[in-house]
Amino acid sequence: MLDKVLITKILQQALSTNADFAEVFIEDKFQTNASLLASKIQQVNNSKVFGIGVRVARGYQSVYGYTNSPKETDLLKLANDLAQSFPGEKQGITVELKELQVANVHKIKYLPSEVSIDEKVALLRRADVAAREYSDEINQVSANYQDYVQNVWIANSEGTYVQDRRVRTRMSIAAIAANETSKQTGFDGPGGFYGFELFKEIMSVEDSAREAARIAIANLHAEECPSGKMPVIIDNGFGGVIFHEACGHSLEATSVAKGASVFSGKKGEIIASPLVTAIDDGTIPNAWGSAAFDDEGNPQIKRVLIKDGVLNSYMIDKLNAKRMNDLPTNSGRRESYRYEPTSRMTNTYIDNGTSTFDEIIAATEYGLYCKKMGGGSVNPASGDFNFSVGEGYMVRNGKIAEAVKGATLVGTGSQALLKVDMVGNNLLRAQGMCGSASGSIPTDVGQPTIRVSEMTVGGRKAAN
Amino acid sequence: MNFEKLFALAKEKGIEDLQVYYVDDNQFDIEVFKNELEKYTIANTQKLSVKGIYDSKMGTVTTEVINEEVFDFLIDSVIASAKTIDSEDEVFIYAGDKEYKNVPGLFNESIYDVSAKQKIQDVLDLEKKVLEKDERIKMVQAFYSDGAVEVTIENSKGLKLSKKVNDGLIGVYVIASDGKDQRTGIDYIRSNDYADFDFETVAEEGAKRAVSLLGATACDSGQYEILLSKEASASLLTPHVGMFSAESVQKDISLLKGKVGQLIANTNITVIDDPFMKKSAKSGSFDDEGVATTYKELVKDGVLTGFMHNLKTAKKDHTKSTGNGFIGRGIAPTNLYIKPGDLSYDDAVKSMKKGLIITELAGTHSGTDPISGDFSLQASGFLVEDGAVVRPVALITVAGNYLQVLKDVKAVCNDLKFNFGYIGSPSLLIHSLMVSGK
Repeated sequence: MLDKVLITKILQQALSTNADFAEVFIEDKFQTNASLLASKIQQVNNSKVFGIGVRVARGYQSVYGYTNSPKETDLLKLANDLAQSFPGEKQGITVELKELQVANVHKIKYLPSEVSIDEKVALLRRADVAAREYSDEINQVSANYQDYVQNVWIANSEGTYVQDRRVRTRMSIAAIAANETSKQTGFDGPGGFYGFELFKEIMSVEDSAREAARIAIANLHAEECPSGKMPVIIDNGFGGVIFHEACGHSLEATSVAKGASVFSGKKGEIIASPLVTAIDDGTIPNAWGSAAFDDEGNPQIKRVLIKDGVLNSYMIDKLNAKRMNDLPTNSGRRESYRYEPTSRMTNTYIDNGTSTFDEIIAATEYGLYCKKMGGGSVNPASGDFNFSVGEGYMVRNGKIAEAVKGATLVGTGSQALLKVDMVGNNLLRAQGMCGSASGSIPTDVGQPTIRVSEMTVGGRKAAN
Repeated sequence: MNFEKLFALAKEKGIEDLQVYYVDDNQFDIEVFKNELEKYTIANTQKLSVKGIYDSKMGTVTTEVINEEVFDFLIDSVIASAKTIDSEDEVFIYAGDKEYKNVPGLFNESIYDVSAKQKIQDVLDLEKKVLEKDERIKMVQAFYSDGAVEVTIENSKGLKLSKKVNDGLIGVYVIASDGKDQRTGIDYIRSNDYADFDFETVAEEGAKRAVSLLGATACDSGQYEILLSKEASASLLTPHVGMFSAESVQKDISLLKGKVGQLIANTNITVIDDPFMKKSAKSGSFDDEGVATTYKELVKDGVLTGFMHNLKTAKKDHTKSTGNGFIGRGIAPTNLYIKPGDLSYDDAVKSMKKGLIITELAGTHSGTDPISGDFSLQASGFLVEDGAVVRPVALITVAGNYLQVLKDVKAVCNDLKFNFGYIGSPSLLIHSLMVSGK
């Protein structure tokens, strides 16, 4: 590994021109993936990732380079090449690295390296059996297991030097249900900042597999969803993806700092229904999106983004803070050394309200109940979003009625937030991978059951 | 890098055959914003993927730490991986083809004749050009990137292959606002010849796309005749490309299973996978398994002619690999596109009595179900009446089934364009689709 002497040299080389900030990010990661299909283990792959990213900046302007080479000559050359982007006199910054440590709240019981590959793939076989036993209509199961240990060292010219270890384990289970006329998929993908204890002691693989199977079967017997404008109830857990996509991304400094977000310049203003309090918390013990430090070497914190409908905080990384004249919220994250960090979410959720699930359903005359959400995307400039509904039901006269499939929710983030008219008390988080400027990173989404008074539902059936 | 020691070690530990896939990658990216350099990235990386047959199973491992000290780890991982796999599929290390087509022009040095400084200046000028197009343009991100990739494949059966490809990309992402509504547009050119980068056209197109959508609102729900723009068509084709994979067929998740020789699309539709296309980084004479690549019409005049194969699926189907075996993606196309027709885009618009031009489809990764072909997607575009654009439209969803769309193609335009994923399409005139709006 690179020692502090070499890291200091690289930082100093990077500051040999008119730059005022330099950073070194070193990553050493070991990952194991295994996959099952057709009840057989198809692939097992170990992967060693190693690389170094160097960032040099003046003000909020930055340049970035990365390499796999740990050689001093290569690294000094990279730092020097980058430094040439800021011609001018040296600012004379002295680099003194001070090691920062924080209490480790993310305890790991069984490191992936201490568990045999046979034990790991056994989980895939158990998932396969459980999903198939759920119903005769399940005719295919695809399951993936992934774990990794990512060690990072982050140092910068302000004296920051931290070391962090991120241990994450996840399974993704897809069950396919089929009959003569249709084929439908159900999915579940639990994960966390855990080692093997996640599936040995904390969660049941079988529960997850049965959940995937249940969704597939529900969709197999679902009717086409009617389209039109209606109240929409979005359930807890992965339903939080709607907030993540439609609002979370627009609260990231990446879009806010440039004035490209609908929420730019709206701090202190009402942007949501007073029932909505939204939080991004990178400190939740062992949560999928947690870590001791962000990828700029700052301790992770809890951010209250929206308080009772009022915009309270953005998510801000180091350089965008300079651009915005605001303080960083320690939100700099990146997939790997191949990415320059930028502001990203961690574990983002709408906080609990007071309604019960039953009350929300009972209060709805006619509408769509989205028990599971699929993926979605949003245009950060316009706030237009779309999500597919993974499992949906019509609600009639305050009762859950027939299952419907093929629905898409369409709207604008800022409008949807204002139209939230009921918030449940059953907060739940679920795991996802979030793709953006600095790569694909693990994030939790979450919320209690919420109701949006009106939303456009796109379906394959005309409105009724 | 010399892999002889790795091959010797593999043999010593009982691995029957071993193959290395080594890639050396150089990337350069710039992005400008508000007349300043917003992003500047330089990178050089190497990655080694090793696969080996042990006890008739294929073990794999990948590493970015590449030196002789990791050889033991690599061989042990290959063996551990092979021992765990219980798929009974036959596995192969390929001895090679007799001939590999010479594909000229995949690496073009000229892109490096232009200095980084000049490239930055060109992108700064590009941003300025877009801003000057219309006062409603509030923001522009202009970008340039180029990359060179050198691939080496060597195996214990004596196969040694290598190729070097590069390409570059210029583009703009444009945000326009009229005070009430905000819309975005994007345009780009990809090539490995710097002379192909027509900054003026990119500026013009990117600006037009954002501005012309301003004031877009939903249209009435109902069935509409649809002109699917080249970009929208390529983005809809992308998630469905898997249906042309023999692996999907064998796993019974392809819509096209059992349909070879049948009409699966309108007779005006031909779908081509072309590994020899010029100026594309996806082109080359061999795939990641070392198999010679082939030009093929997967769909010819609406009739499905066959599927894309790798070594494994070809063996199962008693046929030859089509050279579509790629690491990490199983079976994948090279440059796949719908063959352009004769109709101009403008004439297609003029031919519409009442319909919608769909210029953009959002969320194609989540709003499609490639197993059933059903899709329901957020769309934006323009309402057309009597052959003329009436107004922009947004916040609508279009729904249908992809195979039905291919059958309902009335006419194919002549404006083929590839997306970022090297999937291409011309604009397609479609009989009708269900639109859900207000």
